Amino acid sequence: MDSKQIPIFEASSSGGDQARNRNQNHQVNESNSIDICFDARSEQSLIKFSSILDGSSNQSYQTPQFKMNLDPRATLNNLDFLEQKIHQIQDIVRSTLNNEGRISTQSHEFAAQQQLINTDLTSIIIQLISTAGTLLPPVKNVLANGVSSVGQIGSIPDSASNLGPVGTSQQKLDLVSEGTELSEYEEFINGLGDWDDEGIKSMSADDNDVKDSGDGVNGENLPPGSYEVLQLEKEEILAPHTHFCTICGKGFKRDANLRMHMRGHGDKYKSPSALSKPQKEASSEPVLVKRYSCPFVGCKRNREHKNFQPLKTILCVKNHYKRSHCDKSYICRKCNNKKFSVMADLKTHEKHCGRDKWLCSCGTTFSRKDKLFGHIALFQGHTPALPMDEIQGQGTSDQGHNHEVTTKMEDAHDLFSNNAIGVTNVSDFGLAEDEYGFFSMNIDSNFGGIDGFQ
Amino acid sequence: MNRQRPWDCDMATVFSLDLLANILDRVPDPRDRKSCRLVCRGFLRAEELHRRSLRVLRLEVLPGLLRRYASGLECLDLSVCPALDDRSLSAALAAGVDRLRLRSVSLSRASGVGWRGLMALVDACPRLEAVDLSHCVGVGDREAAALAAAAGLKELRLNKCLGLTDVGLAKVAVGCAGLEMLGIKWCLEISDIGIDLLAKKCQDLKELDISYLKITNRSINSISSLGKLEVLNMVGCSDIDDEGLQSLKHRNNSLRSIDVSRCENVTSSGLTSVIEGSNCLQKLNVGDCFPELAPHFLLKLNCLKDSLTVLKLDGFQVSASSLKIIGLNCKNLAKIGLSKCQSVTDEGISELVASCVHLTTIDLTCCHLLTDKALMAIGDQCKQLRCLRLESCSLITDKGLEYIGTCCSNLEEIDLTDCSITDTAMQNLSRCSKLLVLKLGLCYMISDEGLVHIASNCRKLHELDLYRCVEVTDDGLAAIATGCKLIRKLNLCYCTKITDRGLKHIGHLEDLHDLELRGLCHVTSSGIAKIAIGCRRLSELDLKRCNLVDDEGLFALAQYTENLRQINISYCPVSGMGLCMLLGTLKCLQDVKLVHLSLVPVEWFEIALRASYEKLKKLKLLTGMRKLLSPLLIEKLQLRGCRIRWVDKPPAAC
Repeated sequence: MDSKQIPIFEASSSGGDQARNRNQNHQVNESNSIDICFDARSEQSLIKFSSILDGSSNQSYQTPQFKMNLDPRATLNNLDFLEQKIHQIQDIVRSTLNNEGRISTQSHEFAAQQQLINTDLTSIIIQLISTAGTLLPPVKNVLANGVSSVGQIGSIPDSASNLGPVGTSQQKLDLVSEGTELSEYEEFINGLGDWDDEGIKSMSADDNDVKDSGDGVNGENLPPGSYEVLQLEKEEILAPHTHFCTICGKGFKRDANLRMHMRGHGDKYKSPSALSKPQKEASSEPVLVKRYSCPFVGCKRNREHKNFQPLKTILCVKNHYKRSHCDKSYICRKCNNKKFSVMADLKTHEKHCGRDKWLCSCGTTFSRKDKLFGHIALFQGHTPALPMDEIQGQGTSDQGHNHEVTTKMEDAHDLFSNNAIGVTNVSDFGLAEDEYGFFSMNIDSNFGGIDGFQ
Repeated sequence: MNRQRPWDCDMATVFSLDLLANILDRVPDPRDRKSCRLVCRGFLRAEELHRRSLRVLRLEVLPGLLRRYASGLECLDLSVCPALDDRSLSAALAAGVDRLRLRSVSLSRASGVGWRGLMALVDACPRLEAVDLSHCVGVGDREAAALAAAAGLKELRLNKCLGLTDVGLAKVAVGCAGLEMLGIKWCLEISDIGIDLLAKKCQDLKELDISYLKITNRSINSISSLGKLEVLNMVGCSDIDDEGLQSLKHRNNSLRSIDVSRCENVTSSGLTSVIEGSNCLQKLNVGDCFPELAPHFLLKLNCLKDSLTVLKLDGFQVSASSLKIIGLNCKNLAKIGLSKCQSVTDEGISELVASCVHLTTIDLTCCHLLTDKALMAIGDQCKQLRCLRLESCSLITDKGLEYIGTCCSNLEEIDLTDCSITDTAMQNLSRCSKLLVLKLGLCYMISDEGLVHIASNCRKLHELDLYRCVEVTDDGLAAIATGCKLIRKLNLCYCTKITDRGLKHIGHLEDLHDLELRGLCHVTSSGIAKIAIGCRRLSELDLKRCNLVDDEGLFALAQYTENLRQINISYCPVSGMGLCMLLGTLKCLQDVKLVHLSLVPVEWFEIALRASYEKLKKLKLLTGMRKLLSPLLIEKLQLRGCRIRWVDKPPAAC
């Protein structure tokens, strides 16, 4: 086992050195040819690499794991490996910071590169965790199983194996030369158990857009015990700020904002290390997946619940708690009707409020006419509502207006037909010339006149 | 009123009500019926119970009529009732509210009626089955919503209700699920979405008019799901092409009539698929779609061998061989339209009529190549011919009409506008004693002699058009007035030899409804007065450019022609007084053309229009007047649903 792992450590460390050299020169374009190979491969192939790095072959390392538990030397080796890897990650992050200034010119390339960096980070972190997992009996099985099963899916592509361990790691570090978002990176570690995009998005989302359905870990099916359950108190959840300036006491929602704020308190807070995210001292401890419980007893998201479904992040907890267990205090200023407990929900609603002009008689609103008509076609007796039916108050005011018009017309009628010129009744005209004679009496006795009907 | 005259009782005992009803069944003429009901109370009562339909000409009689006829009345026509608005309609309906059994109400062009009036109508008439709101341009979704409350509605005409959108259509479709006939021609706001919903909700539709809508093939696809559809009119739907028509192919063959004229993107292959889909088609109108008939379409007509009776091919290049195939395939053809098919020849017509001996209507308008030979063939074969249109067939002569006159004794309508015929042709035509409509416009050679021939035998004549027959004089009119007493429509425009004497003769035509006297420069007010006194039923009158007609003429009209609905006095030397008198007094006046009344000051215009703003529905004025009239007046006119056409015409052009 040792003989197998040691070369890898060397390789990765030398890779790290090379990467640093590269970064000093900063010739990102040199790595383009390798980029393509990477690009073509999926995350899974990266995971396979990790298994190579760990085992140098396709051979499953489940057996060594069991041995390791008994062998303190192996454990020590593993810890060494972890240390190396942590350094590697630190390198990546630093190089990101160094390169921040240069990215802006090549924003297009940057986007592509960042993606690759993310995948790189992922692969390293997997290595980290898989090794770390071996140190901790309860977590080990799950994580190791997960990784090895992926690793066994197929044989390693030729191109990948040709690169060799050295090439790969070197490559990784090259690619990491561009910046990644620190928070995202950290969330990655937190939410490592789930690989779906949604998870990533919900964590990186700043505007609390996540709906209830996205809060939890539905379908994630982490076995109980495979994660650590944290429960924040109600006050903690509802506290507007969680980060406070130690100098002036100003509160912030995000640590990053606090760090930005700190710059104003002196030059010592402007150094890269002060501005960069403080590293978790996790190198010696395995990273345990964290999940959250809602403090509201009886809630399905509360850990006491028999079908407990944990929440994924603190943000999810906050949104869930506000939506489910708090008053809806934000009222839409446009419709004065819809209420929300999360400000972001209100903002989302206000973006569309009033645009749902397609209203059904049942009260359902639609933003598109064809949707409304589809709805009407589906249900018996539903009809599209006219603007008048929409709000009763408007209807009455409309009637009032019409009444006004009619009265105006009445006045006009009086003015025009009675006063302005005399509308002479035909019957007033002499009957003398009229050979038919016109009786303006009852229609029944209208003998000679022209009928008013046919 | 309670005085009982002895004979009242006598008559009522002699004739029981059902016996009187039987008698009244055999009295169609309104004047005779009037005499009948004036006999005594019993007869009046019988007439009240017997009457089923009523066309109201004046608003003030409406409540009384509804009260009297409420028990039996089923059809009410308010289309020409002036100044009808929501309030007057509701009030009138309230008069007979408990007993109204109305099934059909026509409010066509009743621009003053809105949703409140319609709600009152629907409330008052629980048995309502048919409503006509055509040409009420102000009608929109709210009115449709009011109508939707009439759940039993079967027929609905909403043609040219410009405010109607998909929402209104959906209201109707959901509310009146039993709809069988729907006309939404020119409702330009309606889209595929609305039609789709209609097809889903109103499965009983038998007749649908979607002409000129901006709809696509998707709509036709939806419509194809209507299993009972018999009549589909889709004139001028330019977004629909063959692909859309193909979806009609796979429906069951209930379709009896389809009109795809002016659908620019439809070709022979689309029509072929329609024919394949519905093999009981009786009427097919494909006018002005595409220029040439493809052979496979003509051959497909064979599928409709027994059923097809009406075929319109306006504007096609139809060769003689095509007409032969049509003739051979469609032997039962009763009506054929070949209007503006300029390549039609004598040979083609001969081939056609040789097979189609049952033809009753032949439209050959603007078939310039036709000569007397075609008429000879028609005369030989089509003994049942009732209607023949030969406008602008400039090669036909008196000789050709001789065949028609001698052979087609059933002829009821003939259009000879712009044909070079003479009085001899009239002599030949006068043999057709059933003639109802005769159009001789622009036949410069027709003179009094010809009219005398017509008057001597065509006693049923209803409509006579003598536009620019410059040779016609007062004597000719005298003959017509004595011979053709039933004339309802007469056009004498630019027959410049006519004087007041001629109009005096016209004044004897009691049934005259529509008279055009444009550009008669010898006619004066006294002639107009004779007309006004004699033709009491006159509803439309055109006096444009009658340079001698002044206020006196208008006074006479104001006094006598109570039912006058439409008048054109453009270019007449009338003063403000005459105009005010005319507009203020005539209660039925709805359509007025007042261009270039140079003697009328703006103030008088203002007063005259204010006196009549309630009843006017159409108004034609000079563009210059727009700034001179008060904005309030214009607003009021438009509020009442009056459409004002502002024209810019030269003052003295002749």
